[in-house]
Order: sequence, then C-alpha cells, then structure tokens
Amino acid sequence: MTLPRWLPPLLFLLAVAAAAWRAPAPATPEFSLPPSAAPTRAPASFAAAMLPTAAASAHAATLAELPDGRLAAAWFAGTREGAADVAVWFATLDAGGWSTPQAIATREGTAAATLGFVRKLGNPVLYDDGKQLHLWFVSVAIGGWAGSALNHSVSADGGRTWAPPVRLQTSPFLNISTLVRAPPLPLADGGLGLPAYHEFIAKHGEWLRFSADGQIIDKVRMAQERRTLQPAVAALDGRHALAILRDGGPAPGRIRSATSADGGRQWTAADALPLPNPNASVAMLRLHGGRLLIAGNGASNRNELLLWISDDAGKTWRPAPTVESVADAGAEFSYPALLQTRDGQIHLAYTWRRQGIKHAVFNKAWLDGETP
Amino acid sequence: MSATALYGFVAHAIIFGALIMLLPLGDRRRMLAFVAIPVALATGIASFMHGFAGTPSLTLLALTVWQLIAIKPAPLTYRPALILLAFALPFYAMALGLGPLDPYALGYQPLPMLAASLPLAALLWWRRLDGWLLILALDFAGYASGLFANLWDVLFDPLLVLVALTVVIRHHARRVPNDG
Repeated sequence: MTLPRWLPPLLFLLAVAAAAWRAPAPATPEFSLPPSAAPTRAPASFAAAMLPTAAASAHAATLAELPDGRLAAAWFAGTREGAADVAVWFATLDAGGWSTPQAIATREGTAAATLGFVRKLGNPVLYDDGKQLHLWFVSVAIGGWAGSALNHSVSADGGRTWAPPVRLQTSPFLNISTLVRAPPLPLADGGLGLPAYHEFIAKHGEWLRFSADGQIIDKVRMAQERRTLQPAVAALDGRHALAILRDGGPAPGRIRSATSADGGRQWTAADALPLPNPNASVAMLRLHGGRLLIAGNGASNRNELLLWISDDAGKTWRPAPTVESVADAGAEFSYPALLQTRDGQIHLAYTWRRQGIKHAVFNKAWLDGETP
Repeated sequence: MSATALYGFVAHAIIFGALIMLLPLGDRRRMLAFVAIPVALATGIASFMHGFAGTPSLTLLALTVWQLIAIKPAPLTYRPALILLAFALPFYAMALGLGPLDPYALGYQPLPMLAASLPLAALLWWRRLDGWLLILALDFAGYASGLFANLWDVLFDPLLVLVALTVVIRHHARRVPNDG
C-alpha cells in the first residue's frame, strides 16, 4: 500500500499544531508569599512528644497544616528502611492529641495504581494548598534510592481518603532518580515549585515547577561543585529565594546553598553557609515575620539536632536553642521538618533514634532564648 | 489508575510480544508473539517491565507494532539507529548530571522543539522517509493527547536506544553495506 505523497506531511502538520496547542507556555514564575502575621507577645513555650508508633522503624517526617487548623504529619515506617513492608503513614493532631496512624501509601497499592512493579517506598512530602492535600512520595522498582521515581496523590477530605497515586514523569532515563524531601512553595500563578533531587551517578538539587492544574512545566537543576541533595527552599520575596542543601561529602560538610533571583527559573550556586552538615537532611522555614529558621544536625553526627536563625535573609546565622543533644555518637535525631501554623506556633518533626517520629512545638519567644 | 499508567502497561506487553518474535521459533513465532502479549499482561511481566523501564516512547511502540504486523521492514535501519545513538548518548549523559545543562527540561515547554521539527520533517518528506514522518506525527499527536508530560519521553527512551545499539552492532557484525 502506497500513501499519497501529500498525506504524511499533512498528518505531521496537524499533529504539530495539536502538540503546539497543548504545549505549556507559562508566564514568568513568581513566588507567592503568605501575608505577614502580627507579632505575638506570648510567653516562651516548648513541648515535645512522640507520635504514635506505626512500625518498628520510622523516618523522614513531613508536616502540613489542614484548612481546619489540624496539623498533619506523614512519614515512612516499616520493619526497617527499605523493607517491603514500609508504608507511608499519616496522622493528624487536634486538641485531643494525635490520631492513630493510617497507611496512606503502600507498596502494593502504589504498584496497583501505577501498573508497575514497586519494591520499596521512601520519603513522603505533604502540602495543603487550601483546596486539597498533596502527597508526593518516592518508590523504587530496582536498586537503591538512586532508582527512585516520584509519585503524587491528593486528598480532598483532609487525608481521610486519597486518590490513587500517579507516577510523575521527571527523568528521561527509565524515569528514575527523582526524590523529594522538603515541601513545595506556592507560586503566584496558582502553581507550585517543588524542591527535588537527583542521585543516580551525580547528586544535585532540582526544582520542579507545576502549573495550577498539576502538570510539570519546568525542571531546573541546582548545580553545585560538590555532591548535594535534599534542597529545602524559602522565598524571600516574589522573585528571590534561598535553597539550602545537604552536603553529600566528602566530610567535613557544610550546609550548601543556592539562590534564585527570577522566581525559580534559574538557580545559582552560592557560598556554603557557615553551618555544619554531616551529610544529613536539613529543613528551612520562613517565619511569619520574615526571619529564616534552619533545623539540622551538628558537625559530629546526627546525635545533635540544632536550630539556627537568620534575621537578614540568610546572610548571617546565629544558633537558637538546641532541640536534642546526647553524647552517644550513634544516636540519631535527624530528617527535620519545619512548619509554622497560622496561629504562629512553630512545629518541628524529626526522626527519633529511628524508633519513631518526635514532634516539638514552640513559639517565637522560646526561639529567641526565653525560658518557658 | 491514570491513562499514562495504562498506556505504559499495555505498551510493555506489546514490547514483550515483539521480543518473543525475535526468538528462533520458526513459522509460529508471530503467533507466539501475539499470545505473549496477554501472557505478559496477566503474569506480571508487563508490570515488572513498566516498573523498571518507565513509560515507553511512542516511537518504540510504533516500531514494535510495525515489527509485529510486518507489513514492510521496520524503518529503524543502520543510519537512523546511528543518528539516534549519537544524539541519545550525550543527551542522557547531560540529563543525568554531566555539566550544568539539563536538555530534558526543554521537553516540558517544547514549542522550540516543535518549531525545530519542521525542517526535520521537510527533510524526511524530501527523502521520502514517510515511515519516520508518520512516526513523528504519531509522537506529536501522543504528546497532544496529554499522555506524556515531556516531549522527549514521546520521542525516545532507553529501550529504544538499546534497540538502536543492537541494530548498529548487528550491522557491523554482518559487515553489510550501509542501508540507511
């Protein structure tokens, strides 16, 4: 069968026109900053408690505030990190305490929804945009964490029920090696910017831009001279943002940084912060008053969980009260997640000796050194 | 489940069928290849391939179907395979972290890529390579359907590059003249 000479080019032109019609051409991105809250004069407060146990080993907590004011947490837990029984667990905090954890993503459920084999699950990230609660989490089919793919699910009822997860297309090579650890930032166009990272062969931070309808419309590399991963990002104004990254070694490590001056379109490596990083995850939060807060580990290992504050958009940093510190170098207080709720309270969740997730809540006065 | 997940799952079953057709099974290999497709869907083979390799490109699927139906020889001959390899290998190296640029990012806002395809299409038409022109049309239609977030994923994937590598190696092993 021979086609008319004109038919293939005609079909091609129609297809190109359709593809061009569908191709996104987004406006220049801009960060959306939350309205500044009035400063409170509350006395210093600090309280900490373990979340209910979901399984023997727990790691990588993430926090979000629900529209009704409840605090939501997710983390992965199972027999041990990487085990087949690891699931992403979810619990909420209200006046009565933490709810019983529910598994919101499992290996079997993810495999069924994505129609692809899944060997293990890893880091989750929660974010509530006011209309729905997002969950991103990584899954691996073969190999270690460098083989991770990114999945996304949403809940329209505050985490009670979740849509089947969808595997996002973020890499051309077997769609592997996109991981997440820190929450996204809202963009002025209704979309989101999600800090991500790559760790197959090279290790570097990435920035995934989502449109308001949830499509990935850009991916930007946060290039560094050293191996870096797990970026956490805070917007400084509509155009400027600071990213801090875990130092992938060699030791001794410092918290690495990158900056954007164009709403996340490009990221430029900046000087390392004068803060230690023993190749461990860090969290950063822009407080309601505009100050920046970092949570991370000390120089020696993960046996200290420390806080630092910057009053000048990240130019200088000073220590805030210590959250955890023990002499045993084998102890682990790691993978912090930070969130400031609308009432001004600052929440910190972190891995506690891999046995569970601990939640600390404190306020500005405690952060500034006042004693509860 | 999403439409993209369903596409990837079924496409891998078809690819598995095409792999069976490569085996020395005599006259029954085409029939066995078609039998292998539902077997792959039912036994978890397609699920494993999908989990491991991600969503296959439409180009790979088109070439696979082309081979299964076998109306004519598939258009992935030596020269196109060599061009694909020459493009894909540095592309993957850069996308995986070599250097500061990530060419994969271009595929999320692909208007420049679509514009660049117009002279390529004119060349294909002029050279009467209608098979490739139709595959390219299918690729772009697939992208327009919303199945793929990134245009590069429609055009090629690591399995297709592996097939291209096999074509090139076989060509040199047999020392046949350039047929592109």
